[in-house]
Amino acid sequence: MAQDGILDGRRALVTGGESGFGAALLEGLCTRGARAESIAIGDPSREGVHASFDAAVAALGGLDVVVHAALDPSLLESRALCETSGAQWEQGCEACLRTAVFVLQASYRHLRGRGGRIVLVTPAVSTAGAAGLVPLTTAVESIRIVAKTAAKQWGSQGITVNSLAPGLDALFDSSQAPRVALGEPGLPDFDPQRDVAPVLGFLSSEEAGTLTGATLRVDGGVWMAG
Amino acid sequence: MKDLLADRVVLITGAGAGVGRGIALACGGAGAKVVVTARNPEQGRGVVAEITERGGTALFARCDVTRRAEIDAAVQAACQQFGALDALIHNATSNRSPEPHALEDVDASLIEEHTSVALRAAFDCAQLSFEPLRQRQGHYVLLTSPAGIEGSATLPLYSAVKAGQRGFLKSLAKEWGPQGIQVNAISPLSATPALVRAFEANPTLKTQLETLTPLGRVGDPELDIGAAATLLLSPASRYITGQTWVVDGGRFLGL
Repeated sequence: MAQDGILDGRRALVTGGESGFGAALLEGLCTRGARAESIAIGDPSREGVHASFDAAVAALGGLDVVVHAALDPSLLESRALCETSGAQWEQGCEACLRTAVFVLQASYRHLRGRGGRIVLVTPAVSTAGAAGLVPLTTAVESIRIVAKTAAKQWGSQGITVNSLAPGLDALFDSSQAPRVALGEPGLPDFDPQRDVAPVLGFLSSEEAGTLTGATLRVDGGVWMAG
Repeated sequence: MKDLLADRVVLITGAGAGVGRGIALACGGAGAKVVVTARNPEQGRGVVAEITERGGTALFARCDVTRRAEIDAAVQAACQQFGALDALIHNATSNRSPEPHALEDVDASLIEEHTSVALRAAFDCAQLSFEPLRQRQGHYVLLTSPAGIEGSATLPLYSAVKAGQRGFLKSLAKEWGPQGIQVNAISPLSATPALVRAFEANPTLKTQLETLTPLGRVGDPELDIGAAATLLLSPASRYITGQTWVVDGGRFLGL
């Protein structure tokens, strides 16, 4: 594999890495030489997220890469906005943004002054829009742009911050993904979980230090606008 | 523009000053019945007076957009006193929007300050106006910013929520299109009180901004932004939805 050893010696944390898409990303990091561990966000408060990261980084012996792949599954449930409760909005959309901010902060605390890579998973549907998924696209688009502000504010610390935008089918077992008609993929054999790994491998590498604030859509070539 | 919005009822949040006031005045001048909502009754009633002195029709409804009941009351006032609701323009933004901050320092309360006004209120305004807007095949409009597209180096949370509003409007446009409701955003650049204060604090800022703007000036909230809002709500724009109109003299060309 062309990327053999590309992440040798690099220490990575993946939120949501215990299952699904996050687990696929974590595996991809490991096969490329990284020491990668999944990190569970237990207490979602600012202090809780920071403490989780402190413990995980101590166990890893340092940090070079953070991949924020955790996503509340309730955000993937298709539901009309008018049938969405205030609690669903707050616990889905707003909590999602809040958690992403705290994960960014926790990452910064351990990467500042030394440099590193932060990658946020921001499903491509956020720039296309999808009926029934207003809370998801609201939260994800917020995260995608706050990542750019982090890129601007933290670049001087050698920290790059980019978004990885998979198709929705990467986040589900294929039969369960909401039907969002965005068109046919340019790459018909694209595996939505496995085939994102090479792009993440590059983004996480030392080599990628000149790319920041970008959104890399890796959905098999479905959504290409912008 | 005089009768472009004749017989339309337009509700605007945060209409006591700045862009909200500008849009209210423009819509009122175009014949709309305007529901001016604001937290500050003196400011809100002042805008109503300006509209009526110019021959237009308006009423004031006090509304803090972080209070769902007040949004509901304002929508009800529109329907009961003016008979319908053709457009809801959610313009209100946090008072802390222009405050620079470092992302690594923000806490939950500052996040809540921004999300409650920009995102939660967008959610509440949408839910509470859906039925009246559906009946009139009307408009739902948000006010966004280039910060929500390219991110601002000094305003991470403002950028986040302005971006969130664009993610919101695209999905809502797809969801409400079959109901005949158009959902769009305007991204303005104009001399709001906040920007004027910034110019006073930093005299070179105005010149810098004018230099960066192809049309060479900072916009007027009524004559530039309000005019565009009027056009967006008019019959001419009946086939436009899911879009962000950047009304800023060409300063931002990133869309």
